[in-house]
Amino acid sequence: MRLHPFTPFLLVLATALLAVLLPAPLGPVALLVVVMLVAVATGAWRAAGAAILLSVPLWIFLLLLHGAMRGGEGWQAAVAQGARLTAIIAASLLAYRAFRPARFLDAAASRGWSSGSALLILATLQAAPRLRARAARILEAQRSRGLRVRGRPLGRIGALAPVALPLILQTLGEVDARAMALETRAVGGGRRTALENVRLRWPDHVLLAAAALAVVAAFCWRALW
Amino acid sequence: MKGLETASLGFQYGEGGPAALDGVSVALASGAVSWLTGAPGAGTSTLLLAACGLAPQYTGGVVSGSCRLLDEDPQTAEGRARLSGRVAYVSADPASQLSGIAETVVREVAFAPANLGWPRERIDLAAGAALDRMEVSHLSSRLPASLSGGEQQRVVIASMLVLSPEVWLLDEPGSALDARGRATLAAILADEARRGALVVVASEDADWLAGFADRLIVMAGGRIVRDGVPADLLADPALAVTGAGSTAVADFARALAERDPAFESGRLPVTVADALERWQ
Amino acid sequence: MAVTALLEFDRVGFAYRGAGVSAVTDITLSVSAGEGVALLGPNGAGKTTLLRLAMALLHPTSGDVRVSGRSTRGRMPEDLAGDAGFLFQQPEHQLFASTVGEDVAFGPRRLGRANVDAAVSEALEALELGDVRSVHPYDLPAPRRRLVALAGVLALRAGLLLLDEPTSGLDRRSRRLVRQAVARHRALGGAVLAVSHDGEFVLEALDRAIILDRGSTIQDSSVPRALGVHGAPPAPAWAEIAAALGAPAESRRFEPAVEFVSMRCRERRHA
Repeated sequence: MRLHPFTPFLLVLATALLAVLLPAPLGPVALLVVVMLVAVATGAWRAAGAAILLSVPLWIFLLLLHGAMRGGEGWQAAVAQGARLTAIIAASLLAYRAFRPARFLDAAASRGWSSGSALLILATLQAAPRLRARAARILEAQRSRGLRVRGRPLGRIGALAPVALPLILQTLGEVDARAMALETRAVGGGRRTALENVRLRWPDHVLLAAAALAVVAAFCWRALW
Repeated sequence: MKGLETASLGFQYGEGGPAALDGVSVALASGAVSWLTGAPGAGTSTLLLAACGLAPQYTGGVVSGSCRLLDEDPQTAEGRARLSGRVAYVSADPASQLSGIAETVVREVAFAPANLGWPRERIDLAAGAALDRMEVSHLSSRLPASLSGGEQQRVVIASMLVLSPEVWLLDEPGSALDARGRATLAAILADEARRGALVVVASEDADWLAGFADRLIVMAGGRIVRDGVPADLLADPALAVTGAGSTAVADFARALAERDPAFESGRLPVTVADALERWQ
Repeated sequence: MAVTALLEFDRVGFAYRGAGVSAVTDITLSVSAGEGVALLGPNGAGKTTLLRLAMALLHPTSGDVRVSGRSTRGRMPEDLAGDAGFLFQQPEHQLFASTVGEDVAFGPRRLGRANVDAAVSEALEALELGDVRSVHPYDLPAPRRRLVALAGVLALRAGLLLLDEPTSGLDRRSRRLVRQAVARHRALGGAVLAVSHDGEFVLEALDRAIILDRGSTIQDSSVPRALGVHGAPPAPAWAEIAAALGAPAESRRFEPAVEFVSMRCRERRHA
């Protein structure tokens, strides 16, 4: 099911709105459950896991803060806030996962928007799989020079620098070269031709309509209670 | 005149640093292949970058003197805008030249024409032709990042070829290519020059360029120190003084002359055929 | 006097998990102290796979790989770092320290070597990097960064050097420095196994060549007999000239070829 490139971002926006509008604490928690179910259903285990990992320090902080300050009612507020943020993080990660720059560009071109420097950001974002491959290669090189990766956790943190630093330096160094390459490919000019027709199809209409209805319903519920 | 014309062009990368270009005045004509060579640091790469305005815009630094490319000033934003899509710049490392956005090779090649707003049918035709000429049509639906270095470089060149540019600026473009790839590129660049394009190649690979360059310019310390016909300059034993290398045969002949002073001095043989003619 | 085999492949086979076809099949070869062996052949022939097997980055699915007499079975690349040094393709991407000297010192320090400073100095001198010891690696142009990476491997003082396309994309001077470093390593009793498409490097720095195709050995001979055949890179121009003038295989390196051709022309002059 190929979604229109704008749809995931609109859905993230809807998630954010729902997170704020739905009555706490059940609303945000239900929202979080829905987002996680979507993640699992679309096979986005990594994104779901990443969202949880990223939220852990957040939850700890919230539970400590609210629990310590406000007693019984505080826990509910903390859970609601945590669920809100985790839901938004998870939805964002899902959108990122679904993001295809080429189609996004075509969709933008179809609407007559010009490309500009957004392309450089896009090109850098697309570096993710290449970075993974490169990180693996750098790790091999450092291990071949005696870097130990098994053993004490503290030692493992020490093993980060020889892998992370070259990765960062290389990527930063490449930004210039890539910017030059993009300039020679006439990026940043006027209207771009869309290489593929990107249209809103029925899955987009269904999802966006459902999201819009949910937001309106939540707003009404909020306004009336 | 069309082509590249510089007048006392100077360039410095950092403040108070050495001059990467020092008063370079040269006129390179369209319709010919000009070859820039020199030891690393001689200024050949910088000259290419300054000629199309990529330096100092993306490299930082200070430019002095003047430069005109196709009668435009590449050092101004208006000039660069008017040159957009007419100048191809190819460097040695293919991975950093891929757009990073296209999911297939054919989309990568279509990237520049799409940015220029060409109609789809024209893009399809031109992209197909470019892929054929670079002999990578069989890779059309592959992900560019999954290709080998040599294949990627062919795709990068095809991505420029599709525009039928009026100017080709290439910096060690054969580095990532195998012998067959370099031969293909040589034929294409010679064709482009015949078609009327300005072709400038910066390279140390004398054996490759000797076969198709029309003019050789040797640089050292940011200045032009030799300028002439490749066959003549390559055969000159004094070329080594500039820090630039000659063909493998000429270097071998020079070593022979150094070893045996009674050896014939004067012009060195430049190709294997030359050498065997003299020594067999 | 027994000659030590620093690397042995004993009927080694390897297939990537899930692949139908083996990457390499039944490879038997050994590299002894002082030897320089080139792995040649078309892309996909299995050359890099052999290098990776030698460094325990991969483990054979059949047969045994032995480095300095010990099998790589159950061992990791970091275990072999004292015996084998691996130079990856485009190694200039793996530099991370704030100075050249620090990066070159990384390996010997990890190995707990006694004389780190001496090893670093020696490696830097060999590659004419003494003057940039305190410079940040990324302030150097790519070819010099490549030499810094090579210095980092040389500083390990491992007996076996495994090189993957060490000269690709380098300028003349840097290629010469790599050749010299390899020759020096062999002269000191080390061994070298290198994958390369550079006919000049192979002819000048190495003495044996193994040509691979589709995972099997096609030919195992001296370098001059291997260049230009079966997908191996062509011999450099002077080798071609020397051969055309009747030079035997051993006289086709640059220096011997200069000797031979010079003598030939002198004979002709006096004839």
